[in-house]
Amino acid sequence: MESNLYKNLTPAQQLDKRTLNKMVWRSCFLQASFNYERMQAAGWLYSILPGLEKIHTDKDDLAASMGHNLEFFNTHPFLVTFIMGIVLSLEQQKADIPTIRAVRVAAMGPLGGIGDALFWLTLVPIAAGFTANMAISGNWFAPFLFLIIFNVVQFVVRYVLMHKSYELGTQAIDVFTKNAKEFTRAASILGVFIVGALVSNYGGTTLRIAVDLGGGEYIIIQEVLDGVIPKLIPLILTMMIYFLVKKHNWTPTKCIALLIVIGLVGTFFGIWAGDSGVVDADGNSIPGGYTPVVRWYELPTPPAD
Amino acid sequence: MSFNVMQYILVFIVTFIVAIDQFSFLQSLYQPIVVGPVVGAILGDMNTGLIVGGTYQLITIGSMPIGGAQPPNAVIGGIMATVFAIAQNTVPAAAVGMAVPFALLGQYAVTTTFTIMSPLMSKADQYAAKADVKGITKINYISMGILGTLFGVVVMVAMAAGVASSDAIINFAANNSWVMAGLAVAGVMMRYVGFAILMKIMLSGELWGFYFMGFAFATILGAVKSLQGPALLILAMIGLAIAIYDFQTNTRMRDLTSGGGDDDGI
Repeated sequence: MESNLYKNLTPAQQLDKRTLNKMVWRSCFLQASFNYERMQAAGWLYSILPGLEKIHTDKDDLAASMGHNLEFFNTHPFLVTFIMGIVLSLEQQKADIPTIRAVRVAAMGPLGGIGDALFWLTLVPIAAGFTANMAISGNWFAPFLFLIIFNVVQFVVRYVLMHKSYELGTQAIDVFTKNAKEFTRAASILGVFIVGALVSNYGGTTLRIAVDLGGGEYIIIQEVLDGVIPKLIPLILTMMIYFLVKKHNWTPTKCIALLIVIGLVGTFFGIWAGDSGVVDADGNSIPGGYTPVVRWYELPTPPAD
Repeated sequence: MSFNVMQYILVFIVTFIVAIDQFSFLQSLYQPIVVGPVVGAILGDMNTGLIVGGTYQLITIGSMPIGGAQPPNAVIGGIMATVFAIAQNTVPAAAVGMAVPFALLGQYAVTTTFTIMSPLMSKADQYAAKADVKGITKINYISMGILGTLFGVVVMVAMAAGVASSDAIINFAANNSWVMAGLAVAGVMMRYVGFAILMKIMLSGELWGFYFMGFAFATILGAVKSLQGPALLILAMIGLAIAIYDFQTNTRMRDLTSGGGDDDGI
């Protein structure tokens, strides 16, 4: 029969540092068996198993604990040790199962946005953006530097959250839930700010249209746009995709298909600046990067040497 | 250019490992900046692999697995971009464009795996009921094995097909340079999808101002050549300052209005 209480209600011994460290390592496999039904459930259970085995010496209690820890679970893969520490401290105190479940579910949600803001929006753009440019200029140290930065941050976060949250136990969840709303809002502000910055920083789409005024004078349309505000086209395209995704529920795949069409139609008419990489027999690249099918304007002739 | 059996086997092994790494383990080995030079080294041109990896990395920055959404797959996209750049000698940006269909294929491989893995959960429930610790471990290993194998097979097929058609692709590219340029342009545009999805998840109405503030600060910094490297770090500092200020203001206001703050002492 399902029971809300463990058989053995005597609090177990505190988990030792070695077991906690083992679980820090195991937390890397949170998504090993990710699936659409329970998401990270089996990986979550796998991660905390060394602790559960030590806490529940009674086999029925271990089965009960494994059972409820195999329910739907989904949180941020890099911050999961925070929840692990709290849940393990509750398991160790032999709290009743509904409480453990409630705490687990309450904690898993807010961490998602925070983790995305910290890792995918801050750490990766900074580490990868900086090292990708090193790689493009042929610096072989770039991938190593990326791995070092990313993994040092990752493991420090995993380690500290695990040990601290286990130590603070249920207090940690109090501190967190007390400020959860404000914390989530602040993390969102940082995230939104960074996204706005990325649109400008990584927006590389430009026009190549030029208007021939005769006598070697041209109006470069891109320069006119830059006079209004630089990076206007990336801003407009992002807003357009945002509108499609938000208001019309477009899938990423559909948006990408649309952008491929926009890209190809644009180069068909010679609107976008782009490089085909095609070279002729003498190794010279095509003026303007490519030859549009419809040619309705003259490119400025590059100054002769 | 054709590849030998050994190269196929090594690429399969690398794919197997990084396919698992994209969700488990270090979750960083799979990034194109790492995979590019490794695959490049296997195929005999590490330098091209490095450059393609860096180029593809910049594109994937916008399309991270945020909020559980699956972006076009960086693992298969990165590997195939490297294969194309080396086998067909195309510029990195165009190779990245050619890899896009394969990245989408990889996205399907991921969603398929996540679907076929669901029935395994009833098996896991049985193990849990028996307190079978080894059984849970086994489930995880089986799942990782399925994912790695599926990705390996997709890359093998794509590599063989991509190399077999390389001459045809080169001729096609010379006669239709607008297509290659269009793919490269679209490749750059794809990051806007990633940005838009981030905005959908995080951008509630009251936060629009912060979005444009980030855009404005980045545009200012973008005009300063010497700051192009540290630009994002500087921006993160500005953003962090704003976020911390907002957090402090809101928690203080909440404490005041709820009659708290009795520990303030003044």
